[in-house]
Amino acid sequence: MEQEVYDCLLCGTTLHCQISWSMLIEKFPPVICEKCEGKFEHSIRAEKGHTSLFQYNEAMKDFLHRYKFMQDVVLAKVFRMHIHQLLKNQRGIIVPIPMHPDKRIARTFAQVDELLKEAHIPFIHLLEKNTPDSQSKKNRAERISVAPLFSVKGTVEKKSYILFDDIYTTGTTIQHATNALLEAGAASVTASTLIRG
Amino acid sequence: MLIKSQGERKYKGFLLEKNVQQFFAGRLWKREMAPFPPWKVNLYIRKGWLQVRGAIEEGPRCSRCHHTKHFIVFDCNKCQAKCVYCRHCINMGRMSQCTELLTWCGPLVRPLRNHILDWQSQFTPLQARASQELAESMRLKRQHLLHACCGAGKTEILFTAIYAALKRGERVCVATPRTDVVLELAPRFQQVFPQTTIHALYGGADVPHSYAPLIVTTTHQLYRFEDAFDVMIVDEADAFPYTFDEALQKAVQKAKRVEAPIAFVTATPSGQLLQMKKAAGSSYIPKRYHDRPLPVPRFESLWRYDKQLLKNKIPKKLETWLKSCIADNQPFLIFFPTIELMTHAIPLFQVVDEKIEAVYAEDTERKEKVLQLRNGQLKGLLTTTILERGITIKGVQVAVVGAESAIFTAAALIQISGRVGRHIHFAEGDVVFFHHGITTEMDAAREEIMKLNKEGFPYGTGSI
Ligand SMILES: [Zn+2]
Ligand SMILES: [Zn+2]
Repeated sequence: MEQEVYDCLLCGTTLHCQISWSMLIEKFPPVICEKCEGKFEHSIRAEKGHTSLFQYNEAMKDFLHRYKFMQDVVLAKVFRMHIHQLLKNQRGIIVPIPMHPDKRIARTFAQVDELLKEAHIPFIHLLEKNTPDSQSKKNRAERISVAPLFSVKGTVEKKSYILFDDIYTTGTTIQHATNALLEAGAASVTASTLIRG
Repeated sequence: MLIKSQGERKYKGFLLEKNVQQFFAGRLWKREMAPFPPWKVNLYIRKGWLQVRGAIEEGPRCSRCHHTKHFIVFDCNKCQAKCVYCRHCINMGRMSQCTELLTWCGPLVRPLRNHILDWQSQFTPLQARASQELAESMRLKRQHLLHACCGAGKTEILFTAIYAALKRGERVCVATPRTDVVLELAPRFQQVFPQTTIHALYGGADVPHSYAPLIVTTTHQLYRFEDAFDVMIVDEADAFPYTFDEALQKAVQKAKRVEAPIAFVTATPSGQLLQMKKAAGSSYIPKRYHDRPLPVPRFESLWRYDKQLLKNKIPKKLETWLKSCIADNQPFLIFFPTIELMTHAIPLFQVVDEKIEAVYAEDTERKEKVLQLRNGQLKGLLTTTILERGITIKGVQVAVVGAESAIFTAAALIQISGRVGRHIHFAEGDVVFFHHGITTEMDAAREEIMKLNKEGFPYGTGSI
């Protein structure tokens, strides 16, 4: 039933797949056409301890709407090669930012985990979301003063950890997650996100 | 009767609530999206009047769109297992194995029959005959092909058949591929059927909770119905995406009752539809309601128009045409083969006159821009094929740029030409195909229009 993709996952045009050697090695044939690919803006900034792959723009807004809101899980494949390239050689244990279980069940999938799975990046869950509330619905003061967003589950060792999230907006989420891991004994914590908001 | 007891609701007898029945009748509706509280929905399920089923049937097949390909398997956190969703109709909200759909299987809605047809027929003899033939086919539950040229007045031809069906207590659906057409048709129907509840359904429209015996809908919204209609009229039966999309044809079949007849209405029937004619009723109207011939397109070469436009230059002939429309105060439509070329060209046209805009399918201001052209606030529109049918603008002149492009099929070109001369006082007008080489499609379009004129006016048109 599951078939490899023949048409662009975003616009549906037939993909004229030019197989290059690198693609054969990476095992990630393209799933979107060049035109759609060209609409995404690569992120230029890599701040201290945080890297992101893309800028938030109209195309990305549309992507997130379709992926998260319309629940088109297969779109997790769209950035698999970029995510793979970013994370495959990083030294550190990948920890995805978790969703609250209620929210995850309502959405039927964990969007951050799916991105990593499609990119063939192994990860472990060490964090638990404390409340189902979304950060984006709060104002700045509320976001900063809020009680810890995450608790640690499982064992955190004195090692390097890399947090992974879909979008970095105010940095509150990453900040809370970083603190939680450091307090639990992590040696260092950096963060990578797909999008810089 | 419902009795409240400490938040728990128990029931003794059961009172059928009209609004629940009327909302669900004929619909295939996502349980989570039901406009009633869950306890009430549960009550009707226990009673056996609402049936619950998974959105993906064995096969697999999508319950909503009946598509059997385009499934995605994923690890579902709701079912805690592998789950499947249909990607084909995902734009209408995702249907997965664990999505629950509701259908009504309680008592049938007792239809009102107090409909009024508030309309004075001014039919030409051809229209009158077609109108009777269509009504007769619908009464006999027989398929019907209404082949009426652009501007034949086909909406009016539908009135008699719809009215007769409504009077029989039947539920009627008029489906069309395009939202623009729904928006034009629905108010027109409401005007002539003032007593009838009519719903206009399209993507993004509010779904009224009442029961409508007459529904005007995009073919897409048909996905949300099952076994609902006694008469199914498919307008612009050949238009994209209907011809292209097998699943939409399935949606038409699914939305109607098994024995319900389908009437196909079109100006440009496909070979497949013409085939159907032999086994069913059919009507043919080669002549416009105002008894004047169809404007015949003329061909003008416009060599390398794309290169010129990309060099920020409007080709000479096109510019002359444009300026003469503006000078004569005539509204105009210029069709482009691609959005890219059009968006590149629009600033050039706006230099000539700032009251020119461009429209395309995803343009959120499309409705307003068409309205502005109609009331004279705009002088002209550049457009993709999205405006090829359904719209009527008094006195409009039409040009096609790149008429040789594959997107301009004979049917598309006939529809485009059909925009011109629709009004009784502006029965003539210019249709020009600017091209980089003449295609067989262009020839076929022109020949078909001349054939219609010949059949409509066997003794000559008097004006050519
Ligand atoms: Zn479907
Ligand atoms: Zn599921």
